[in-house]
Amino acid sequence: MKQLLLILSALITFNTFSQEIVNETFNDTRIVNGHSVETNMEGSMKFIISHRFGMLNGGLYELYGLDQSTIRMGFDYGITDNITIGIGRSSFQKTVDGFIKARLLTQKVNDGSPVSITWFSSVDNNTLKRPAGREIDNNLRWSFAYQLLIARKFGEDISLQVMPTYLHRNLTPTSEFSNDIFSIGTAARVRLTQILSLKFEYYLALPDQLPDANTNSLAVGFDIETKHHVFQLHIGNSRGMTEKFFISETYGKWENGDIMFGFNITRDFQVKGRKYK
Amino acid sequence: MRLKLISIAIILVVVYGMKPIDSNWNDNTSIFEILHFYGENMPSHKPKEVNEEILKRGRDLIFEGRTIGPDGKKSKYISKFYVCTSCHNPNQEDPNLAVFDPEARLDYVASKDMKYLPGSTFFGIANRESWYNDDYVLKYGALVEPASKSLAEATQLCAKVCSSGRYLEDWELEAILAYYWDNQIKLGDLALTDSEKKKITAGEKGNNPELIKLIKSKYAQTSPATFGKTPNDYSKGYGLVGRPEEGKKIFELSCQACHQDGGVAGMTFDNNRLFFKKLERNLNKKTDYNLYDIIRHGTYAGDGKPRYMPLYPEEKISNQQLEDLVAYVKQEAKK
Repeated sequence: MKQLLLILSALITFNTFSQEIVNETFNDTRIVNGHSVETNMEGSMKFIISHRFGMLNGGLYELYGLDQSTIRMGFDYGITDNITIGIGRSSFQKTVDGFIKARLLTQKVNDGSPVSITWFSSVDNNTLKRPAGREIDNNLRWSFAYQLLIARKFGEDISLQVMPTYLHRNLTPTSEFSNDIFSIGTAARVRLTQILSLKFEYYLALPDQLPDANTNSLAVGFDIETKHHVFQLHIGNSRGMTEKFFISETYGKWENGDIMFGFNITRDFQVKGRKYK
Repeated sequence: MRLKLISIAIILVVVYGMKPIDSNWNDNTSIFEILHFYGENMPSHKPKEVNEEILKRGRDLIFEGRTIGPDGKKSKYISKFYVCTSCHNPNQEDPNLAVFDPEARLDYVASKDMKYLPGSTFFGIANRESWYNDDYVLKYGALVEPASKSLAEATQLCAKVCSSGRYLEDWELEAILAYYWDNQIKLGDLALTDSEKKKITAGEKGNNPELIKLIKSKYAQTSPATFGKTPNDYSKGYGLVGRPEEGKKIFELSCQACHQDGGVAGMTFDNNRLFFKKLERNLNKKTDYNLYDIIRHGTYAGDGKPRYMPLYPEEKISNQQLEDLVAYVKQEAKK
């Protein structure tokens, strides 16, 4: 463990001295539900409001899902340019989450690293009240996710990312399923204009880990970037906005129209000064 | 005998006082020292004390926005959004200190690998006699009055208003004034002919308006500021032929000085066709992306929007240079 920490701190230190870096691999720190390699600048706080609505196949009666909505509000803060922490609270299963991200490598323009790599760890706590007689120990409410976000920007307009992910849930649907889930995520961004980008995010849970009713999370959408906000509009088959939900608790099937509209809106605030270039 | 001794003493004092001091002055002699020698009063912004510790604090505040204070604790950032060097270069910008020529300045800073910024350089700012000149009253109103007469007040205005920050504490202001003082124009910086130099270094101590005038003719005492107008017809611009190669310098040394990853501006300017297309599309529109508008008017800080872009007076980016930038943007958008 000590060695791992040493390697991580060495990588972060090395990253600090990077020159001619490739910037803005993704428009924001989120792609759809998951994180991108991007981190906040030091002293910058990001307020993120995310909504996921009901299923489009609910028809007009449900106003195509708009009658149902879940929300996550979160704050991310850049401790340094390479380390970001965040907390959030989702109405979906009344979940509180927290995370830490550390940028280990940054893609360089010419020589140097061909990819950007960011380490991500998160923790979720489900605070939903249980029915009388079915209370559970608080320990079972926790889940943990660990990701390595590896991204490369190809030219100015295309960025790709892969996200090997390890998820640990203290509570599983039934005892026959493992608490640990391994998943590989992939994501892409294609810039269409200076402010508009098309994006895609898919998390594949490796076989035989989840019940048959589960599906893999797939979402597509657009990012609209203005001077102070990023608007992310998307449709996908997952309602949850943290790793536990979109990796291990996605049930929607695209072919059945089980897709939901959602958006993330981010606003940056500079809460502390920093060293400017 | 006593009278003789007194006479010799008086003669020695007078001779010493009148002695030409060319042997003591060199290229590093500060202009204020020479002006004072010739009868000019020291300015009110002369710091009470200049030593290495105070200078380090001044440099830290200028370049980093904070320092270790006299109490041994890290000071608060002057501004969360900018540091002084976001808008001001610390070094000489004009090849000829008496002439404000934006084209010559651009070439000069490009040759020195410096940024091309909207604020006055800190080099020689202590040698100016007024600040926030001319049209800055249009932007800052009555705030300009005390600032135009005092470098200390000008610095406070910059810290609080221009950088969306806070007023400086006394020790911080003293440290910054010490930095300015240390960064004043030196004898060797003046474009003097041999005969002028000889004249200056061989003068006699005392009131000498002629030499003061000569010295002051070699550098500008004020930094002029003319707020330019946008073209009447954006599609025709200023009616000047733009030079893309000059525009490239403006884009890289000026726009991208702030609009870079990790820079003070919230938005990064890419060297990317899509971005140039966006700028080109906005050339005829009344938006913040219109280069004519944003450079001539800038934006203003306000409640909930402390970060803003300062305007460039004509003395910083001329109409010709603005057309150069537009020509570069159009050229890159076509690629």
